[in-house]
Amino acid sequence: MNNNKHSHWFFIGPHIILFLVFILIPSIYGVYASFTNWNLMTSPTWVGLDNYQTILFNQDSSFHLEFFNGLKNTLIFVVISVPLMIIIPLLIATAIEHKDVKFKNFFQSIIYIPGLISISAAALIWSLIFNSQLGVMSNLFGSDTVWTATQPYAWMTIFIMTVWGGIGGNMIIYRASISGVSEDLYESAEIDGAGPIRKFFSITLPSIRFPLIYTVVMTTAGAFNVFGQPLMMTNGGPRESTSVLMMYIRDLAFGSGQSIAGIASAMAVLMGMIILIISAAQYYVMNRNSA
Amino acid sequence: MKRKLSMITFVIMTVFLLAGCGSDENVIEFWTPLTGEDGAYMDQLVEDYNATDPEYPVNHVITSDLYTQIYTVLQSASGIPDLTLIHADRVPSFAKNDLLVPMDNVMSLQTELKEDNYLPEAWNAGIVDGTQYTIPLDIHGSAMYYNIDLMEEYGVTHWLDDDIVTIDEMLELEGKMAEGQYVVNDALLGWVALAQLQNYGGDIEGSNGEPTVNTPEMRSVIEDLRSINDAGLMTPFGEDGYLMFQSGNVLFSTDGTWSRLAHEQVEGLNFGITNVYSHSADIFHNRSSAHLFSMLRNEERTAEKEAGIADFLEFMRENSIDWAEAGQIVASREVVEADDYDQFMQSFYTKNEKEEDSLFIYTYEHYPYVAEALDDYIADIVHGEMDIDEGLEEMQRFVDDRVAEGDAELEDAADAVEDFDDEQ
Repeated sequence: MNNNKHSHWFFIGPHIILFLVFILIPSIYGVYASFTNWNLMTSPTWVGLDNYQTILFNQDSSFHLEFFNGLKNTLIFVVISVPLMIIIPLLIATAIEHKDVKFKNFFQSIIYIPGLISISAAALIWSLIFNSQLGVMSNLFGSDTVWTATQPYAWMTIFIMTVWGGIGGNMIIYRASISGVSEDLYESAEIDGAGPIRKFFSITLPSIRFPLIYTVVMTTAGAFNVFGQPLMMTNGGPRESTSVLMMYIRDLAFGSGQSIAGIASAMAVLMGMIILIISAAQYYVMNRNSA
Repeated sequence: MKRKLSMITFVIMTVFLLAGCGSDENVIEFWTPLTGEDGAYMDQLVEDYNATDPEYPVNHVITSDLYTQIYTVLQSASGIPDLTLIHADRVPSFAKNDLLVPMDNVMSLQTELKEDNYLPEAWNAGIVDGTQYTIPLDIHGSAMYYNIDLMEEYGVTHWLDDDIVTIDEMLELEGKMAEGQYVVNDALLGWVALAQLQNYGGDIEGSNGEPTVNTPEMRSVIEDLRSINDAGLMTPFGEDGYLMFQSGNVLFSTDGTWSRLAHEQVEGLNFGITNVYSHSADIFHNRSSAHLFSMLRNEERTAEKEAGIADFLEFMRENSIDWAEAGQIVASREVVEADDYDQFMQSFYTKNEKEEDSLFIYTYEHYPYVAEALDDYIADIVHGEMDIDEGLEEMQRFVDDRVAEGDAELEDAADAVEDFDDEQ
């Protein structure tokens, strides 16, 4: 009995060590860095709330403009991509789980495989597809539009690539959850005269409440951290209309000039707070409504 | 007993694994940002050097994110490489922050590592306040490739007679280009603008060391570039002009010296190399950068290892012709003056003094911010997506804010040192 007294540490220990070393300590240091001037080469110098004051209130500062432009573009991405990344996989999972559908795993694989391709490789593929000279899209629609340099097409290319590569993960979670719902419930509903739509909203959705909350929260947090798609597809253009916050943060901290890590950290902390508040609100609202 | 045995095995394995993480103190750890084919050519050069059985062999480590890695090891003061290959524009800030060791000792150990044996622009890029911090490997920068077949088709091969294609000459083709064909692309447009700025006698550093982007000279540069765009002669906004050149639809491509390798792989692309276009036939520049060998400050680097580094740099000075394969303008005089070097297209830029003088490396401390501002805004401004005044103001503000942030930090650091001294 005594031998097992500390056995739980062996199970949770490795994770705690990794969490401390790679997440908690860097996060705390990141918050500290946001209150400093720091070029990554010399020691950080404490400046209190100056970085936050500049970013949030100094309207003449390029950091202020970059933060709010980046935040606006990030929010555009989140507001449009998150519903797509929830609804489309949910519909696909529901369709695949229908008893009359054959080759379920085959269809699941087709939809899941793009998620295994790196964003860089995927962006190259999609850049060629949308290339106005050589691409399939321009030839298909007989258009000479430069898709990635013209709005709203620039956003569309980003969303198409995001949905293509991102729906597989959520779809598998939904499929696993839906397959766990008792058939008895559906049969009872059918006896009571419920149609497919009524069954979906009254049985399927309530039954997968927790996976749904989990995917909404995680997809939203992931969407706030969007970086690769706009960087590779549009490089933030045209006129910085697809420059997201993570691109500005990365450029400030690790751009070509001397690092401005203090401002970059303050932007990252502000974004982290926004993600935290929105995720908590999502969890609260969804959990309360479905309780 | 079994448990003890498992524990001992675990400890031994951990020790071996950790030992594997350590570095051999008789090996020169050499970090570079050379990915792709550049990295393969450098690997070969290092392998050739190690085949000479030196006392201190070199271990070439490629890190695509070199500068982030450098900051990380400097912060931890552990694992700092013995030798690094950095870009010219990093030298001023690294030197100002006391991150680099002067090359004086290395140069005294190998006396051929001296100014006379290198292209002056590459050598001078490593000097800060009179101290030599680097030994150059190469110059690499803007180049203008031309499509020979297309130039013949439009009857404009005479533009190349004086090695300077002027903007006025390019404008002669206004309204004469076939659909889908253009005179020039907008690849590396920021570099083109920085070359033109020199042609106009402008600069990015004011008399008091302040950054200057919103200047009459920069306005002239942008107006020139816009005139090419407005005449319908520049590849459209957002198009992959580089790819369009390779597909044979653009007369000139303003990309880098290293692009020769990629262009050569395109079947049927008959191309040559010349200077980046200018507003005047009397003056031309090609904005350049350089790869420079440098030593980060590292207390653990022994004098013997520094001698080993000197030997390696001397080997590179004598044998870096293979580096020309990567498309770079080799900095060693011995190499560029060798007959074998003429086979490389980029030898165009060292064929005479005038060409050598055209290779311009910006050494202003805040150049990276200026270059970043140009990269972010120039395409929008030139293609008419953004007003010229607005663009110039935005770029100036972009650079000013970043410089001010850095200056504030240096002032704070100086104050902290002063306070510390007062307390002592």
